[in-house]
Amino acid sequence: MRQFLALIFDAYRELNSKKLFWIILVLSGLTVLVYASIGFNDTGMSLFFGLMDIENEMLTKDSFLSRILYRSIFSTFMIGIWLTWIATILALISTASIFPDMVSGGSIDLLLSKPIGRIKLFFFKYIASMLFVVLQVSIFCVGVFFCLGLRLNDWEWRIFAAIPLVTVFFSYLYSICVLFGVWTRSTLTALLLTFLLWFCTYSINATEAVVNMFKIQFTMEVEAFDEEIATLQNNEVQDNGAIESRLETIQTERDERQVTIDKIDRWHQPVRITQTILPKTGETIALLDRWLRRETDINMMDIFTGGVAMDDQGDFQRAQSRDEDREVERRLEAEYEARSEYFIIGSSLAFEAVVLALACTIFVRRDF
Amino acid sequence: MKSQSSDYAIDLHDVRKIYRGKIHALRDIQMQVHPGEIFGLLGPNGAGKSTLVKIMMTVVRPNRAHGTILGKSIGHKRTLARVGYLPEHHRLPSYLTGQQVLEFYAALAHVPGGVRKKRSRELLKTMGMDDWGNKKVSSYSKGMMQRIGLAQALMNDPDLIVLDEPTDGVDPVGRRDIRDVLLELREMGKTIFLNSHLLSELEMVCDRVAILVQGEVATQGTLDDLTRESQRYEIIIAGTAPSWIETKSGLRAETLDDDRCKVIIMGADPQPIQTVLDQLRQENRIILSVQPVRETLEDLFMRAITDPATGEISSPGASPNSNRKSKGVRA
Ligand SMILES: Nc1ncnc2c1ncn2[C@@H]1O[C@H](COP(=O)(O)OP(=O)(O)OP(=O)(O)O)[C@@H](O)[C@H]1O
Ligand SMILES: [Mg+2]
Repeated sequence: MRQFLALIFDAYRELNSKKLFWIILVLSGLTVLVYASIGFNDTGMSLFFGLMDIENEMLTKDSFLSRILYRSIFSTFMIGIWLTWIATILALISTASIFPDMVSGGSIDLLLSKPIGRIKLFFFKYIASMLFVVLQVSIFCVGVFFCLGLRLNDWEWRIFAAIPLVTVFFSYLYSICVLFGVWTRSTLTALLLTFLLWFCTYSINATEAVVNMFKIQFTMEVEAFDEEIATLQNNEVQDNGAIESRLETIQTERDERQVTIDKIDRWHQPVRITQTILPKTGETIALLDRWLRRETDINMMDIFTGGVAMDDQGDFQRAQSRDEDREVERRLEAEYEARSEYFIIGSSLAFEAVVLALACTIFVRRDF
Repeated sequence: MKSQSSDYAIDLHDVRKIYRGKIHALRDIQMQVHPGEIFGLLGPNGAGKSTLVKIMMTVVRPNRAHGTILGKSIGHKRTLARVGYLPEHHRLPSYLTGQQVLEFYAALAHVPGGVRKKRSRELLKTMGMDDWGNKKVSSYSKGMMQRIGLAQALMNDPDLIVLDEPTDGVDPVGRRDIRDVLLELREMGKTIFLNSHLLSELEMVCDRVAILVQGEVATQGTLDDLTRESQRYEIIIAGTAPSWIETKSGLRAETLDDDRCKVIIMGADPQPIQTVLDQLRQENRIILSVQPVRETLEDLFMRAITDPATGEISSPGASPNSNRKSKGVRA
């Protein structure tokens, strides 16, 4: 325990001495400040604590839309862009050097000569490295919590779920960084390879989404044909010849689609498997959105895309239109939402465990 | 092998290390260090001194190692709480101050918080660094780093202190300070294992030495034992050498320049020189000096690293062939 505390304390001092840590903290503070500066009054929205006014009768104080907008800015920009991308990239840059520094000649000798096992040392150091993210995200969350509370009188405790969630998300990437760091002993290599792998998971996820979309599209077409075939077959009145030929064309078209689906499936399966193995970075962060959203169930994006519209009474309702495009999107979303939290985090943690086991093995077996 | 020989502070048998790339850094090392002594390990560059120390400190994993350190088998982590270690070319975290460095490494060695504070202040003082304790390590000079490193090795009040070239980069005053600290530690009953190139320095403090050449122990023992053979008396007289000298066994004469000559009597026993002196006095020879002479550590070292067959000095580094013939002297 004493050793663990010493390593945590050491990690804190290391952060403290890093300029980047403070730069990120300031940036993070500025982001929260800009967020806090968005207000709503009787005439509309104001930015930068009233320096800039946007008049809009729908965005007045306590209006439904203003609440949604304010929360959406949080989920889209604060989580979706700041936490997921910018802050994480900066955090990786500032913590990437911890392990290569530790295993560099001269400093590792001192650590290993202390009465602490190599495995213990490795994991203590790993956990201590998480301090960076935990601190940053905690401070960020406290800021956002008060913004939402004071602006919307909406004391959203669930915001703090972001602390473990972002830490876990960061740890997927950091484990990769540690593996390459211990292996190559070079910060730059570790960092570049981590970004590369992150990019790979991102592209695979994107590919999977596109492939899946095509698949759903064709499946829906097949369903439509099936429906038509069923109605035609039930229809006994008209002349049989026309129906027969119509049935035939539909049947062939339907079969063609089915063949295409099978072809797509052959591509989809391996992509799916790769995706399952790799850490689910995007999906993990999206969980936060999922947890926070349930309450209102309406998102600014839905309003922009027309998924939600205002009815006669001025309330927002989910659009009932069965526009085909939206149906594909809806099904795709439903499929992703159906994946449980446990699966998303669990399978990613399994990946992390394997990567860490590998890194630890290299660390334990190496001569320094 | 069991730890039947735990009356040694360090007792190594059959330690072998082959680095990747077939570098035989250590072959079958046998080495014993008694408790309470200062033991010096010397050898040319690349002889494997640091490798041996790193194996003891679990930094490098040996291919084979039997033996004990402070009564526990090599690689036993918990024993390391009683060992202090200063690696060669150590690097300290640059974001810490000297005092924080001492406290950090002491915490890893299970030293309780209160003790850490007190001891770090004492040791900073001992090392002459009390003005620098609150300054960042990144602002230290090489010698100051070395002093903090040495202080760090003493934080856990160790029974065994292993130092890999502790005086590297330290100024003469600092060297003397370090020497004094080492002698003081020996007074307190600590065992010190010292790795160094500075033969004169080792000669001043070491009780016993071992010379490592190309991964093998060429010789080990007390300085007295190792130089006994070469002990002799030298009498310098004016004039040419008397003719009777050459006829007696154990006697030798060398003519020096400016009309002097040196009579050499082999052995540590002072008795034979009395008769020689009597004879010289009888002949009214002028005796300029009489002194006991023994091989210096440097002579011993040079002898150990020279191949007796070819007279060549062995090249630095581990020898690439695995069945190297043992060279040098055996004690
Ligand atoms: N990590 C390593 N990988 C491969 N070979 C190594 C490694 N460390 C040392 N060696 C080799 O092992 C041999 C012994 O090296 P070692 O550092 O123990 O020598 P040394 O006696 O301490 O030398 P010096 O007096 O220069 O400090 C050398 O030939 C060296 O090249
Ligand atoms: Mg060395």
